[in-house]
Amino acid sequence: MGSSARKKKEKKKDFQKTKLKVGKTKAKPDNFTDTSFKAKSIVVNQQSLATSAPSSSSQFAHYLSLASSSRSDTQRRDALSYLTSQLSSAPVNRPLPLPTSILLPKLLPLILDGSSSVRTQLLKFLRLLPASDIGDHAESALLYARAGMTHLAAEIRTDALAILEWLLEVAKEDVVSCPGGWVKTLKSFTSMMGWASSSGSTKWTSASKASFGKAGKAFPRQLLVLAQFLKAGLMESEDIREMKIGGALFPLVNMERHMIPTRSNAFAHLNLFGSSRDEEGEMYIDREDRQRVFQMLFQPAVEVGMANAKKEGGEAGRAAAVLAKVLNEGMADYSDVDDTQ
Amino acid sequence: MGKKRVGALEKVDADLPNLQYKIRRDPKSYSEDFLNQYGQYQSQRDIFLASPTTATSTGIVSFRDLIDFVAHVADCFPEDTASFPSDLKTILTLHHASLESELREKIVGSLVLLRRKEIIDSAELLNTLFPILVATPSKTLRALLFQKILSDLRTSNSKSVNHRLNKTIQTALFNLLTSDRASAKGIWAVKITRELWKRQIWTDAKAVEIMKEAALADNEKVIGGGVRFFLGGDKEREELEDESSDEEAGIDIGKLKHQAGINKKSRKTKKSLEEAVKKVKKTEKKKNQPHPLNFSALHLLHDPQGFADTLFSKHLQNSKSKLNLEQKLLVLQLVSRLVGLHKLTVISLYSYFIKYLTPRQPSVTTFLACLAQATHSLVPPDALEPLVQKIANEFVSEASASEVASAGLNAIREICVRQPLAMNETLLQDLVMYRKSKDKGTVMAAKGLLSLYREVGADLLKKRDRGKTATMGLKSGNIKERRFGEEEVGGIEGLELLEEWKAEERKRKRAEKGLPELGSDESDEDEDGDEEETKGWENWDAESDASSDSGGWINVESDAEIEISDSEDEKPAVKKAKLDPLATKSKPESETPGNDEEKENADKDKAREQKISKLATTKILTPADLAKLQELRLQASVSKAMGKSNSKSQSQRLKELADRHADDPLTAEQIEGLSKLRKSTREEKIALAREGKGERGEHKSTQALRRQKKDAEGKSTTNKEKSRKKNFMMTLGKAKFKQKRSLTQTRRVLKGHIERSKRGGKRGNVGM
Repeated sequence: MGSSARKKKEKKKDFQKTKLKVGKTKAKPDNFTDTSFKAKSIVVNQQSLATSAPSSSSQFAHYLSLASSSRSDTQRRDALSYLTSQLSSAPVNRPLPLPTSILLPKLLPLILDGSSSVRTQLLKFLRLLPASDIGDHAESALLYARAGMTHLAAEIRTDALAILEWLLEVAKEDVVSCPGGWVKTLKSFTSMMGWASSSGSTKWTSASKASFGKAGKAFPRQLLVLAQFLKAGLMESEDIREMKIGGALFPLVNMERHMIPTRSNAFAHLNLFGSSRDEEGEMYIDREDRQRVFQMLFQPAVEVGMANAKKEGGEAGRAAAVLAKVLNEGMADYSDVDDTQ
Repeated sequence: MGKKRVGALEKVDADLPNLQYKIRRDPKSYSEDFLNQYGQYQSQRDIFLASPTTATSTGIVSFRDLIDFVAHVADCFPEDTASFPSDLKTILTLHHASLESELREKIVGSLVLLRRKEIIDSAELLNTLFPILVATPSKTLRALLFQKILSDLRTSNSKSVNHRLNKTIQTALFNLLTSDRASAKGIWAVKITRELWKRQIWTDAKAVEIMKEAALADNEKVIGGGVRFFLGGDKEREELEDESSDEEAGIDIGKLKHQAGINKKSRKTKKSLEEAVKKVKKTEKKKNQPHPLNFSALHLLHDPQGFADTLFSKHLQNSKSKLNLEQKLLVLQLVSRLVGLHKLTVISLYSYFIKYLTPRQPSVTTFLACLAQATHSLVPPDALEPLVQKIANEFVSEASASEVASAGLNAIREICVRQPLAMNETLLQDLVMYRKSKDKGTVMAAKGLLSLYREVGADLLKKRDRGKTATMGLKSGNIKERRFGEEEVGGIEGLELLEEWKAEERKRKRAEKGLPELGSDESDEDEDGDEEETKGWENWDAESDASSDSGGWINVESDAEIEISDSEDEKPAVKKAKLDPLATKSKPESETPGNDEEKENADKDKAREQKISKLATTKILTPADLAKLQELRLQASVSKAMGKSNSKSQSQRLKELADRHADDPLTAEQIEGLSKLRKSTREEKIALAREGKGERGEHKSTQALRRQKKDAEGKSTTNKEKSRKKNFMMTLGKAKFKQKRSLTQTRRVLKGHIERSKRGGKRGNVGM
């Protein structure tokens, strides 16, 4: 019997539970095999360990998307400043990392951005873009510029004026002749400066209660930009004048007109494929057209406003004088044109 | 002053709601501000239209807010915003799929707002919204548009029916259904029409026509919608009406007045009381208004025969139709209802049933109900006979389950109620034997069949099954077999009730005058009739009453009536003499001539039937009569619903049975009878358990519920309840004293208790 009790004990031993203790590692089982190893080097098959950073073009794209869609102000500004530095540091003849047709649609909405630092940074960036590329995008840029000019916030309005100035510098002709570029922009000028009048009601009082417009300091600047704009629209641009004068290639008259057009969508004014445009959205390609429309719709309001500004004197008065000069020169030959027709 | 104003205005800058408020108060002064905002709106719109998909409304003021703002003040500057509605419309129609959802909803809301301000009209709005509703893939937008369209239709029909708008919309819906029958877009036409039908905004034949087209569509969903409308649309409408009338009746003016008298008097309570009074008056007025004529959709159908034919051939007979069994059953129900209701002839329908009449067929009871529903008196018995035979063979046998047998018997009975000629002698006698079965359902079904044929075809039964009345009728030649196509001479429903009521009134008046109750005096009756009639017309038209000849005219009229009633009185008496002596023996005192009340039941019935035609043909019913008739009819139907068994003759009961089928659908439950073929669903079980237990909002004791009910009724507590609730400390003294009482004191108390209980309480109720 004794031996069987011993055997029982032995059998039991195999199945005894090991006690677990707090704070101590679990006891290893009997059949534990240590699989750890030491090696001097490890070769990993699938992973690539390229030492180079992401390419500059992909980084450029990344920052572009950050600038256009990031939620945080500072991030947008920083992304924009990165883009600016990339462009400015690049050698002169190197092409842009991304074409303008991709850059502009993404960045133009920032004209209406709430943060002023973003807007100023944007203007810096835009000035770095090649001027020849802007002409095709003048229409979309103008859309945002106009939205900025009629914006509620005064700062955005002034910054939008800066954008418009830049546009006038780089693509004068396109700005005034693109669809909606002439009438709509003038309209937003008049409403910005508080010269607009309701089309329906007759005015009882001349006293304007407009809550924006006439914004003190900004007003002379507005006058100056308007003067620039009118100058671009109402005066003949130099190259056309040159062309008119140019008798260099004597037997060939108006040769430019019969060549293959250099600009894209040369027959846009015929509006063959788009939806029909109204008076506001129409393209006014000729100077005469612009003069006519201006005289019809805006001249009285502008002259009244200008006269008031002149009376104010000071900076505004001087700006108004500049505007008056442009207006006189621009509209000087209008009446005789009208007579001849 | 001016300076201050400018200072205040500077706040306007980014605050559109504030500006909106100011513009609404003084549009002219703020027109420039508005123009600025409108300019901003325009430039934002241009940006949006230049690239609808990528444009984001970030920035201080979003495009959405601008749209909202312009929509709210558009009515102040109609010239400036002339293009605004069309802008919104083009944006919505062109870009609704790619717009972000909030902007989309805002545009829809703004359009509706413009409609409310009457800048655009309903037709314009609906013509914009409806195509989008049909086309858009977004579920939320669909829900929004559906709701807006419905609410606009309701508001434009609220004051008076806008026929033009309804017509254009109905045409649009009709075209939507008919232009592409296979597309699922038609479901929107169905939904809109059904909703408007339910709310009684569209009640005309055109709406029914739309649904008819839906039922004949190719898409399963559309078909289902159309068919369900015909089967349940009217019931839904009635339920909604009942609900709304219930809601209005909820105000208790007396209580409100009482409360106003007791509670603190304030302007608010006064106003609320006034409003309540106004509301009650309004509902009273509404109640007194004539009930609008609501024809059911089935009655408004133009060409029921053609409709039933095409439905049947297109969806049921056509082997290519893709409907599943459930949908097919729906269509079948509709077809059979149409056939039964309008007594149409679709012969191939009956042979269609044959293959479905087996106990193994899923939802066979519905098929049976449909078959019975499709039967009417003008169906040739030849078409029905094989069906009845098949049902009898398949369902009714000793070997089949009792539920199956009773369902079969019930179905046969329902068929034979409508067309008794579908039965032959041997089959009937065989079926009737099942009344000896062990199962209750089968017994009842067989007995029903037996009693039916005692009425309509006693000669088919064995002699011992015929029963007394039928045997007597057969003997005297009273009961005749109805031939195929023979119609009973019609009467006006409830006219006999009116007749009875008039007789009673006459009797009552006589009693008042002190005349003998059973006065057969002609002059008396004449007088009374005269009086009644003039009274009846009195309320109706004062002018005709004033004319002198009306009195004479009435005299002549009532004379004629009396002549006829004389002859009528004699007739049954003669007939009775001819009858077998059993009846006369049982009530010999009924022989007194000219006495309506004491006749035997069968005779009375007959006399009544004869009178029906007399009353309607010999007398012009006054409006008062008609009102009374309506009332009596209602009463009778109510008492019928309450289950009061009137001592009606069997023929009347039979007629009732037949009447029930004309308007109400026959359901599978009626065929199943007592026993159920299928398992009852959980909902049914719960309903069965709940039945008769009343509304039980929360789980409380019965006592608490009772108390709650009493509280709601404003009743006080009982003494027992009071004592139970009494503060413990207050009871302590008495309890302590009880232990210390002497024997005499105890005796006195007990005596007092007995005395009080005899008297009936402390105050006592003796001599009250």
